[in-house]
Amino acid sequence: MSDSEPAPDPAVDDGVDGEGTLSRPASDRPPYVESTIIMTTVRVIAPFVLTLGAFVMLHGASSAGGGFQGGVIAATTVVMLGFAFGIEPIAAHLRNEHLALLVLSGVGTFLIVGFGGYFVGGNFLQVSGYETLFKDGSKYSIELVEVGIGVVVSGVITGLFFLLGTGVDVGADDSDSEADR
Amino acid sequence: MSLSVPVAVVLLFMLGSALAAAVLRDVVGSIVAFAGYSFGVAVLWALLRAPDVALTEAAVGAGITTVLFLLTIARTSVSRSERFEGISLRSGLAVVAIVVTVGATVPALPPVGASGTPVLAGDVSQYYLTNAYDQTGVTNVVTAVLVGYRGFDTLGEVAVVFAAGVAMLLVLRREAFV
Repeated sequence: MSDSEPAPDPAVDDGVDGEGTLSRPASDRPPYVESTIIMTTVRVIAPFVLTLGAFVMLHGASSAGGGFQGGVIAATTVVMLGFAFGIEPIAAHLRNEHLALLVLSGVGTFLIVGFGGYFVGGNFLQVSGYETLFKDGSKYSIELVEVGIGVVVSGVITGLFFLLGTGVDVGADDSDSEADR
Repeated sequence: MSLSVPVAVVLLFMLGSALAAAVLRDVVGSIVAFAGYSFGVAVLWALLRAPDVALTEAAVGAGITTVLFLLTIARTSVSRSERFEGISLRSGLAVVAIVVTVGATVPALPPVGASGTPVLAGDVSQYYLTNAYDQTGVTNVVTAVLVGYRGFDTLGEVAVVFAAGVAMLLVLRREAFV
Protein backbone atom coordinates (compact mmCIF):
# COMPACT_ATOMS: atom_id res chain seq x y z
CA MET A 1 0.00 0.00 0.00
CA SER A 2 1.46 3.33 0.96
CA ASP A 3 4.70 1.69 2.06
CA SER A 4 5.73 1.55 -1.56
CA GLU A 5 5.04 5.19 -2.21
CA PRO A 6 8.00 7.18 -3.48
CA ALA A 7 9.76 9.40 -0.98
CA PRO A 8 8.14 12.81 -0.95
CA ASP A 9 9.66 15.42 -3.14
CA PRO A 10 12.01 17.62 -1.06
CA ALA A 11 10.53 20.64 -2.78
CA VAL A 12 7.21 19.88 -1.11
CA ASP A 13 8.59 20.56 2.35
CA ASP A 14 8.20 24.14 3.30
CA GLY A 15 11.71 24.39 4.61
CA VAL A 16 10.96 23.77 8.29
CA ASP A 17 12.86 20.66 9.30
CA GLY A 18 10.73 18.03 10.96
CA GLU A 19 7.48 19.82 10.24
CA GLY A 20 5.02 18.56 7.67
CA THR A 21 2.50 20.69 5.88
CA LEU A 22 -1.10 20.22 6.87
CA SER A 23 -2.40 19.40 3.44
CA ARG A 24 -0.75 18.54 0.22
CA PRO A 25 -2.17 19.58 -3.14
CA ALA A 26 -3.35 16.75 -5.36
CA SER A 27 -0.54 17.27 -7.84
CA ASP A 28 2.11 16.46 -5.22
CA ARG A 29 0.48 13.33 -3.91
CA PRO A 30 1.94 9.95 -4.82
CA PRO A 31 0.10 8.91 -7.98
CA TYR A 32 -1.95 5.77 -8.28
CA VAL A 33 0.35 3.02 -9.54
CA GLU A 34 -1.24 0.29 -11.59
CA SER A 35 -0.01 -3.14 -10.52
CA THR A 36 -1.03 -6.31 -12.33
CA ILE A 37 -0.27 -8.45 -9.30
CA ILE A 38 -2.47 -6.43 -6.95
CA MET A 39 -5.28 -6.14 -9.51
CA THR A 40 -5.29 -9.87 -10.22
CA THR A 41 -5.15 -10.79 -6.54
CA VAL A 42 -7.97 -8.44 -5.64
CA ARG A 43 -10.03 -9.65 -8.58
CA VAL A 44 -9.67 -13.23 -7.31
CA ILE A 45 -10.18 -12.74 -3.58
CA ALA A 46 -12.82 -9.97 -3.61
CA PRO A 47 -15.79 -12.36 -4.05
CA PHE A 48 -14.51 -14.54 -1.22
CA VAL A 49 -14.09 -11.57 1.11
CA LEU A 50 -17.61 -10.40 0.30
CA THR A 51 -18.89 -13.92 0.98
CA LEU A 52 -17.04 -14.01 4.30
CA GLY A 53 -18.60 -10.68 5.22
CA ALA A 54 -22.08 -11.95 4.39
CA PHE A 55 -21.41 -15.15 6.32
CA VAL A 56 -20.20 -13.34 9.43
CA MET A 57 -23.19 -11.00 9.19
CA LEU A 58 -25.81 -13.73 8.73
CA HIS A 59 -24.23 -16.35 10.97
CA GLY A 60 -23.73 -14.05 13.96
CA ALA A 61 -26.62 -15.71 15.78
CA SER A 62 -24.97 -19.12 15.76
CA SER A 63 -21.24 -18.36 15.88
CA ALA A 64 -18.84 -15.54 16.55
CA GLY A 65 -19.61 -12.48 14.50
CA GLY A 66 -22.52 -10.21 13.81
CA GLY A 67 -23.56 -7.13 11.96
CA PHE A 68 -20.68 -4.86 12.96
CA GLN A 69 -17.92 -7.31 12.06
CA GLY A 70 -19.64 -8.57 8.90
CA GLY A 71 -20.37 -5.06 7.72
CA VAL A 72 -16.74 -4.04 8.07
CA ILE A 73 -15.52 -7.15 6.24
CA ALA A 74 -18.03 -6.56 3.43
CA ALA A 75 -16.91 -2.93 3.13
CA THR A 76 -13.32 -4.14 2.89
CA THR A 77 -14.18 -5.43 -0.59
CA VAL A 78 -14.72 -1.90 -1.81
CA VAL A 79 -11.59 -0.72 -0.01
CA MET A 80 -9.51 -3.42 -1.72
CA LEU A 81 -10.97 -2.52 -5.11
CA GLY A 82 -10.10 1.10 -4.41
CA PHE A 83 -6.47 0.26 -3.67
CA ALA A 84 -6.16 -2.01 -6.69
CA PHE A 85 -7.92 0.02 -9.36
CA GLY A 86 -7.65 3.55 -7.99
CA ILE A 87 -10.16 5.28 -5.76
CA GLU A 88 -11.58 7.69 -8.34
CA PRO A 89 -12.48 5.04 -10.98
CA ILE A 90 -14.24 2.95 -8.33
CA ALA A 91 -16.03 6.02 -7.01
CA ALA A 92 -17.23 6.75 -10.54
CA HIS A 93 -19.02 3.39 -10.54
CA LEU A 94 -20.91 4.13 -7.35
CA ARG A 95 -23.74 6.54 -6.92
CA ASN A 96 -24.30 8.53 -3.77
CA GLU A 97 -28.00 7.64 -3.76
CA HIS A 98 -27.14 3.94 -3.54
CA LEU A 99 -24.81 4.43 -0.57
CA ALA A 100 -27.28 6.68 1.21
CA LEU A 101 -30.06 4.20 0.51
CA LEU A 102 -27.90 1.41 1.95
CA VAL A 103 -27.27 3.32 5.17
CA LEU A 104 -30.85 4.50 5.55
CA SER A 105 -32.34 1.08 4.83
CA GLY A 106 -30.16 -0.43 7.55
CA VAL A 107 -31.27 2.12 10.14
CA GLY A 108 -34.83 1.71 8.88
CA THR A 109 -34.73 -2.08 9.26
CA PHE A 110 -33.58 -1.74 12.86
CA LEU A 111 -36.30 0.80 13.64
CA ILE A 112 -39.02 -1.23 11.90
CA VAL A 113 -38.11 -4.31 13.92
CA GLY A 114 -38.02 -2.10 17.00
CA PHE A 115 -41.41 -0.46 16.50
CA GLY A 116 -42.87 -3.73 15.24
CA GLY A 117 -42.48 -4.96 18.79
CA TYR A 118 -45.48 -2.80 19.74
CA PHE A 119 -47.69 -4.39 17.11
CA VAL A 120 -46.98 -7.95 18.20
CA GLY A 121 -47.90 -7.20 21.76
CA GLY A 122 -44.57 -6.30 23.32
CA ASN A 123 -42.42 -3.28 23.95
CA PHE A 124 -39.95 -1.43 21.75
CA LEU A 125 -37.41 -3.94 20.36
CA GLN A 126 -38.93 -6.82 22.33
CA VAL A 127 -38.05 -9.51 19.84
CA SER A 128 -39.72 -12.29 21.81
CA GLY A 129 -43.04 -10.80 20.71
CA TYR A 130 -42.43 -12.02 17.17
CA GLU A 131 -42.82 -15.61 18.37
CA THR A 132 -46.57 -15.04 18.16
CA LEU A 133 -46.28 -14.18 14.47
CA PHE A 134 -44.24 -17.11 13.22
CA LYS A 135 -42.06 -19.93 14.52
CA ASP A 136 -38.59 -18.86 15.71
CA GLY A 137 -39.76 -15.29 15.30
CA SER A 138 -37.34 -13.82 17.81
CA LYS A 139 -34.38 -15.58 16.20
CA TYR A 140 -35.23 -14.32 12.73
CA SER A 141 -35.94 -10.80 13.91
CA ILE A 142 -32.53 -10.79 15.64
CA GLU A 143 -30.97 -11.94 12.36
CA LEU A 144 -32.81 -9.17 10.53
CA VAL A 145 -31.50 -6.58 12.96
CA GLU A 146 -27.96 -7.94 12.49
CA VAL A 147 -28.29 -7.59 8.73
CA GLY A 148 -29.54 -4.04 9.22
CA ILE A 149 -26.52 -3.24 11.40
CA GLY A 150 -24.20 -4.77 8.80
CA VAL A 151 -25.73 -2.72 6.01
CA VAL A 152 -25.37 0.51 7.99
CA VAL A 153 -21.76 -0.22 8.91
CA SER A 154 -20.69 -1.25 5.43
CA GLY A 155 -22.39 1.76 3.87
CA VAL A 156 -20.85 4.24 6.30
CA ILE A 157 -17.37 2.73 6.02
CA THR A 158 -17.52 2.75 2.23
CA GLY A 159 -18.64 6.36 2.43
CA LEU A 160 -15.82 7.31 4.82
CA PHE A 161 -13.32 5.60 2.54
CA PHE A 162 -14.39 7.58 -0.50
CA LEU A 163 -14.75 10.81 1.45
CA LEU A 164 -11.22 10.55 2.83
CA GLY A 165 -9.86 9.22 -0.45
CA THR A 166 -11.33 11.84 -2.77
CA GLY A 167 -12.78 14.66 -0.76
CA VAL A 168 -10.15 16.54 1.21
CA ASP A 169 -8.99 19.10 -1.28
CA VAL A 170 -9.01 22.12 0.99
CA GLY A 171 -8.27 24.68 -1.68
CA ALA A 172 -10.76 23.29 -4.16
CA ASP A 173 -13.39 22.95 -1.45
CA ASP A 174 -13.01 26.57 -0.43
CA SER A 175 -13.40 27.88 -3.94
CA ASP A 176 -16.41 25.61 -4.45
CA SER A 177 -18.20 26.80 -1.37
CA GLU A 178 -17.45 30.41 -2.12
CA ALA A 179 -18.81 29.97 -5.63
CA ASP A 180 -21.97 28.48 -4.12
CA ARG A 181 -22.63 31.46 -1.93
CA MET B 1 -1.18 -15.36 38.09
CA SER B 2 -0.22 -17.95 35.58
CA LEU B 3 0.77 -16.69 32.17
CA SER B 4 0.67 -19.12 29.29
CA VAL B 5 3.45 -18.87 26.71
CA PRO B 6 1.26 -17.71 23.77
CA VAL B 7 -0.31 -14.96 25.85
CA ALA B 8 3.12 -13.83 27.05
CA VAL B 9 4.43 -13.73 23.48
CA VAL B 10 1.43 -11.71 22.31
CA LEU B 11 1.78 -9.28 25.21
CA LEU B 12 5.47 -8.78 24.37
CA PHE B 13 4.57 -8.18 20.72
CA MET B 14 1.91 -5.66 21.76
CA LEU B 15 4.37 -3.84 24.02
CA GLY B 16 6.95 -3.65 21.24
CA SER B 17 4.53 -2.42 18.58
CA ALA B 18 2.99 0.10 20.97
CA LEU B 19 6.45 1.52 21.70
CA ALA B 20 7.23 1.57 17.99
CA ALA B 21 3.98 3.40 17.27
CA ALA B 22 4.87 5.99 19.89
CA VAL B 23 8.52 6.68 19.02
CA LEU B 24 8.74 6.12 15.26
CA ARG B 25 9.21 9.42 13.44
CA ASP B 26 7.85 8.15 10.13
CA VAL B 27 4.08 8.48 10.33
CA VAL B 28 3.40 5.61 7.93
CA GLY B 29 5.66 3.35 10.00
CA SER B 30 3.89 4.51 13.13
CA ILE B 31 0.50 3.66 11.61
CA VAL B 32 1.70 0.20 10.61
CA ALA B 33 3.05 -0.36 14.13
CA PHE B 34 -0.30 0.74 15.51
CA ALA B 35 -2.04 -1.76 13.22
CA GLY B 36 0.31 -4.43 14.55
CA TYR B 37 -0.66 -3.46 18.09
CA SER B 38 -4.36 -3.79 17.21
CA PHE B 39 -3.68 -7.14 15.64
CA GLY B 40 -1.93 -8.24 18.83
CA VAL B 41 -4.97 -7.19 20.85
CA ALA B 42 -7.19 -9.20 18.49
CA VAL B 43 -5.03 -12.30 18.93
CA LEU B 44 -5.09 -11.75 22.70
CA TRP B 45 -8.92 -11.65 22.70
CA ALA B 46 -8.97 -14.85 20.68
CA LEU B 47 -6.59 -16.51 23.14
CA LEU B 48 -8.77 -15.34 26.04
CA ARG B 49 -11.76 -16.96 24.27
CA ALA B 50 -13.60 -13.81 23.27
CA PRO B 51 -13.94 -14.48 19.52
CA ASP B 52 -16.64 -11.85 18.96
CA VAL B 53 -14.45 -9.08 20.35
CA ALA B 54 -11.41 -10.51 18.54
CA LEU B 55 -13.24 -10.38 15.22
CA THR B 56 -14.31 -6.79 15.84
CA GLU B 57 -10.80 -5.74 16.86
CA ALA B 58 -9.24 -7.41 13.82
CA ALA B 59 -11.75 -5.95 11.37
CA VAL B 60 -12.15 -2.46 12.81
CA GLY B 61 -8.97 -1.80 14.79
CA ALA B 62 -6.35 -3.51 12.69
CA GLY B 63 -8.12 -3.31 9.33
CA ILE B 64 -10.30 -0.38 8.50
CA THR B 65 -8.81 2.13 10.96
CA THR B 66 -5.38 1.57 9.42
CA VAL B 67 -6.77 2.15 5.95
CA LEU B 68 -8.47 5.38 7.00
CA PHE B 69 -5.29 6.56 8.76
CA LEU B 70 -3.20 5.81 5.67
CA LEU B 71 -5.67 7.62 3.41
CA THR B 72 -5.56 10.64 5.68
CA ILE B 73 -1.78 10.66 5.99
CA ALA B 74 -1.45 10.46 2.20
CA ARG B 75 -3.04 13.92 2.19
CA THR B 76 -0.22 15.41 4.24
CA SER B 77 3.44 15.73 3.50
CA VAL B 78 5.84 14.57 6.16
CA SER B 79 9.58 14.90 6.29
CA ARG B 80 11.50 11.84 7.34
CA SER B 81 14.72 13.41 8.55
CA GLU B 82 15.13 11.34 11.71
CA ARG B 83 14.24 7.80 12.51
CA PHE B 84 12.92 8.19 16.04
CA GLU B 85 10.95 10.78 17.89
CA GLY B 86 12.95 12.70 20.48
CA ILE B 87 11.51 12.09 23.95
CA SER B 88 11.55 15.10 26.21
CA LEU B 89 11.79 14.87 29.98
CA ARG B 90 8.28 16.25 30.43
CA SER B 91 6.58 13.70 28.19
CA GLY B 92 8.63 10.94 29.83
CA LEU B 93 7.41 12.09 33.25
CA ALA B 94 3.83 12.23 31.98
CA VAL B 95 4.10 8.65 30.69
CA VAL B 96 5.53 7.46 34.00
CA ALA B 97 2.74 9.24 35.90
CA ILE B 98 0.04 7.67 33.74
CA VAL B 99 1.60 4.21 33.99
CA VAL B 100 1.86 4.46 37.80
CA THR B 101 -1.72 5.74 38.13
CA VAL B 102 -3.25 3.10 35.88
CA GLY B 103 -0.93 0.41 37.24
CA ALA B 104 -2.11 1.16 40.76
CA THR B 105 -5.57 -0.15 39.80
CA VAL B 106 -4.25 -3.48 38.54
CA PRO B 107 -3.97 -5.21 41.97
CA ALA B 108 -7.67 -4.45 42.49
CA LEU B 109 -8.60 -6.57 39.49
CA PRO B 110 -9.40 -10.26 39.94
CA PRO B 111 -7.04 -12.77 38.31
CA VAL B 112 -7.88 -13.77 34.75
CA GLY B 113 -10.39 -16.60 34.79
CA ALA B 114 -10.99 -16.56 38.56
CA SER B 115 -14.26 -18.28 39.42
CA GLY B 116 -15.49 -15.70 41.93
CA THR B 117 -15.56 -12.70 39.56
CA PRO B 118 -18.89 -10.94 39.05
CA VAL B 119 -18.78 -11.82 35.37
CA LEU B 120 -18.92 -15.51 36.15
CA ALA B 121 -20.74 -15.59 39.46
CA GLY B 122 -23.09 -12.63 39.08
CA ASP B 123 -26.83 -13.17 38.79
CA VAL B 124 -27.18 -11.21 35.56
CA SER B 125 -24.65 -13.16 33.50
CA GLN B 126 -25.90 -16.46 34.89
CA TYR B 127 -29.43 -15.44 33.90
CA TYR B 128 -28.29 -14.72 30.34
CA LEU B 129 -26.31 -17.95 30.08
CA THR B 130 -29.24 -20.01 31.38
CA ASN B 131 -32.12 -18.40 29.51
CA ALA B 132 -30.68 -16.88 26.32
CA TYR B 133 -31.37 -19.87 24.09
CA ASP B 134 -34.87 -20.56 25.42
CA GLN B 135 -35.96 -16.95 25.22
CA THR B 136 -34.39 -15.85 21.95
CA GLY B 137 -33.58 -19.05 20.05
CA VAL B 138 -30.07 -17.74 19.37
CA THR B 139 -27.11 -19.97 20.25
CA ASN B 140 -24.53 -17.19 20.42
CA VAL B 141 -25.15 -15.56 23.79
CA VAL B 142 -23.26 -12.43 22.75
CA THR B 143 -25.68 -11.82 19.89
CA ALA B 144 -28.65 -12.67 22.11
CA VAL B 145 -27.54 -10.04 24.63
CA LEU B 146 -26.61 -7.46 21.97
CA VAL B 147 -29.90 -7.53 20.09
CA GLY B 148 -32.33 -9.50 22.23
CA TYR B 149 -31.74 -8.14 25.72
CA ARG B 150 -29.83 -4.91 25.09
CA GLY B 151 -31.29 -3.94 21.73
CA PHE B 152 -31.69 -0.32 22.73
CA ASP B 153 -27.94 -0.03 23.40
CA THR B 154 -27.22 -1.51 20.00
CA LEU B 155 -29.64 0.94 18.38
CA GLY B 156 -27.54 3.66 20.01
CA GLU B 157 -24.37 2.16 18.53
CA VAL B 158 -25.95 2.12 15.08
CA ALA B 159 -26.93 5.74 15.59
CA VAL B 160 -23.29 6.52 16.42
CA VAL B 161 -22.08 4.85 13.21
CA PHE B 162 -24.73 6.74 11.25
CA ALA B 163 -23.70 9.99 12.94
CA ALA B 164 -20.06 9.32 12.03
CA GLY B 165 -20.99 9.27 8.34
CA VAL B 166 -23.07 12.43 8.63
CA ALA B 167 -20.38 14.18 10.68
CA MET B 168 -17.75 13.38 8.08
CA LEU B 169 -19.95 14.91 5.37
CA LEU B 170 -20.41 18.02 7.53
CA VAL B 171 -16.71 18.39 8.35
CA LEU B 172 -15.68 18.07 4.71
CA ARG B 173 -18.59 20.30 3.65
CA ARG B 174 -19.82 17.83 1.08
CA GLU B 175 -23.32 16.65 0.33
CA ALA B 176 -22.49 13.31 -1.25
CA PHE B 177 -20.32 10.35 -0.25
CA VAL B 178 -18.96 9.76 -3.74
